[in-house]
Amino acid sequence: MRTITYLSDPDLRALLWPWLVTGLSVALLAAPLSVLVVLRRLAFIGQGVSHAAVGGVGVVAMLGLAGGSLAATGVIAGACLLAAAAIAVISDRRSTSEDSAIGIVLVGSMALGVLLLQLAHNLGRTGFGSWEAALFGALTSVGPQDAWIAVVSAILLGGTLWVLWRRIVFWAFDEAAAVSRGVPARAMRWALLVLLTLAIVASMRLVGAVLATALLVLPGAIAMELSSRMGRVVAIALLAASFGMVGGIVASIELNLPPGACIVCALALMYGAARGWAWLGRRRASENISAGTPAMGGRG
Amino acid sequence: MPATPARQPATHPAPRDTSGDRAIDIRDVSFAYPLPPDAPATYRPALERVSLSVREGERLGIVGPNGAGKSTLLKLILGMLEPSSGGVRVLGEEPREARARGLIAYVPQKSDASTQFPLCVRQVVEMPLVARLPAWRGLGREDRERAMHALELVDMRGFAERHIAALSGGQMQRVLIARAIVTRPRVLLLDEPTAGVDVAGQRRFSELLQRVHAELGLTLVIVSHNLRAVAAGCDHIACLHRTLHSHVTPEGLTPQVLAEVFSHEIEGIFGDVHVDAHPASACGHDHGTHHAHDHSCAHDHVHADERMKRTDTKGGS
Repeated sequence: MRTITYLSDPDLRALLWPWLVTGLSVALLAAPLSVLVVLRRLAFIGQGVSHAAVGGVGVVAMLGLAGGSLAATGVIAGACLLAAAAIAVISDRRSTSEDSAIGIVLVGSMALGVLLLQLAHNLGRTGFGSWEAALFGALTSVGPQDAWIAVVSAILLGGTLWVLWRRIVFWAFDEAAAVSRGVPARAMRWALLVLLTLAIVASMRLVGAVLATALLVLPGAIAMELSSRMGRVVAIALLAASFGMVGGIVASIELNLPPGACIVCALALMYGAARGWAWLGRRRASENISAGTPAMGGRG
Repeated sequence: MPATPARQPATHPAPRDTSGDRAIDIRDVSFAYPLPPDAPATYRPALERVSLSVREGERLGIVGPNGAGKSTLLKLILGMLEPSSGGVRVLGEEPREARARGLIAYVPQKSDASTQFPLCVRQVVEMPLVARLPAWRGLGREDRERAMHALELVDMRGFAERHIAALSGGQMQRVLIARAIVTRPRVLLLDEPTAGVDVAGQRRFSELLQRVHAELGLTLVIVSHNLRAVAAGCDHIACLHRTLHSHVTPEGLTPQVLAEVFSHEIEGIFGDVHVDAHPASACGHDHGTHHAHDHSCAHDHVHADERMKRTDTKGGS
């Protein structure tokens, strides 16, 4: 068990804690956002924004910045925010739908990122690291600085989300009614987009640009299978994201595989199990409906 | 003060002169939606020179075919759109201010609210109360009681802890009305509240609105493309099709008025429609029990075959 070795060896433990702290911080932030993403059907926007990070990575590589530096994180965050703004502006025109706008921004920023990364490679600027690390994450690219950035992001962004939560839920549930009650729809939409973008940036080093959006969908989707109460849904999403993160990191260490893929696979397995549990609950409920006995499983 | 329709034929009876202040005052309002640059015109007019006033405590039904500008008019009253010309006042204030002060409540078409949300009935009703509180404060006992009272008014108190996905369309509509009245607004706007609801459901809904109106003394504005849905429970009916064609009491809404308002659109919007030749006063039937096919009912004035039922479910303008 390589994980035991990491835990028992002081030198290896110093490597392990930034991974776990980063993972749990990102889980804390991504879980409640994922509930909103699932309910508001924003998964594709998350995809568009996360892939825009590849364009940002290309710019970072061209500038010769170190991958883990604050400057690099700022550039990538800027690229993602720019992509979110571009999606909003393009889809504001009646001639272009939102999914078309996302598709345009997604492929455009991916292509730009690939070109810039190749160009940086040709010019010998290899400060950022490998393509695989950028796209799928790498444990070795996550250090104490990343952990601190993730913790501060989780506190600031999680706090902002907590303050806005009730209004965002009202807006997401029934926009027209929320607007009539003075909830600013445009501000809510922008706040959610910015929070999604920054959550993606915070999780990118660990899970990579391509897979970052999974963290903003799967925990919420798992929780929605298991409960029909908002408080419980958020709590389950938090637990699922945390278990997925820790499980994925452990699997990555044990199997020497990219952490992003391991985390997403762990979450996907949990989703399958949750879906099975919900199906079982529905089946038992229909079987027991005449007997009047409560069924195990399903949504609580 | 009498109501001020923009274009009211002299033959139509004037609106009932009830006492009280104006709740909604619409003066010579026009509104047009901008069109894409390659369209033949720059703007698509939605409303032209509409003037209308509603007294406090009055119930106004606005009817017209899809695309007549009914929902646009509601958004102007709510302050969600600004008129191209003219002005709107709600309880003497700008609509935005009235909205910010919680004087207006709005029940959008029910399709806007997603029943997939993990919320129970009580949480939905408490939403407007909770949304104005800081994150660190919970609802007080008074607010909780207010929410339960709103549910009681719409006969949904027993459903308070039920998940919204377990509700029927009619029950969900009642929950949305409870949510609208929970903050005790003075004006309630309802957009196509009975879209997709059968005739019996429309009757029950009308009775419910009358109870809410009687209890809270609200000013009600109900928008619908279905005349039956609004005729029974309103003091006045305004016929809108870009301009205001008439603003009369339900009794004054004669077949001649309807024929004039809907002369060209009635076939396409309501289906194969028969305009009753008898005036409302000549009908001795209990309006609440009439079937859609019953051609002898004069209250509805307009009777349709099965095609009307189908078009009823298409939603508002």
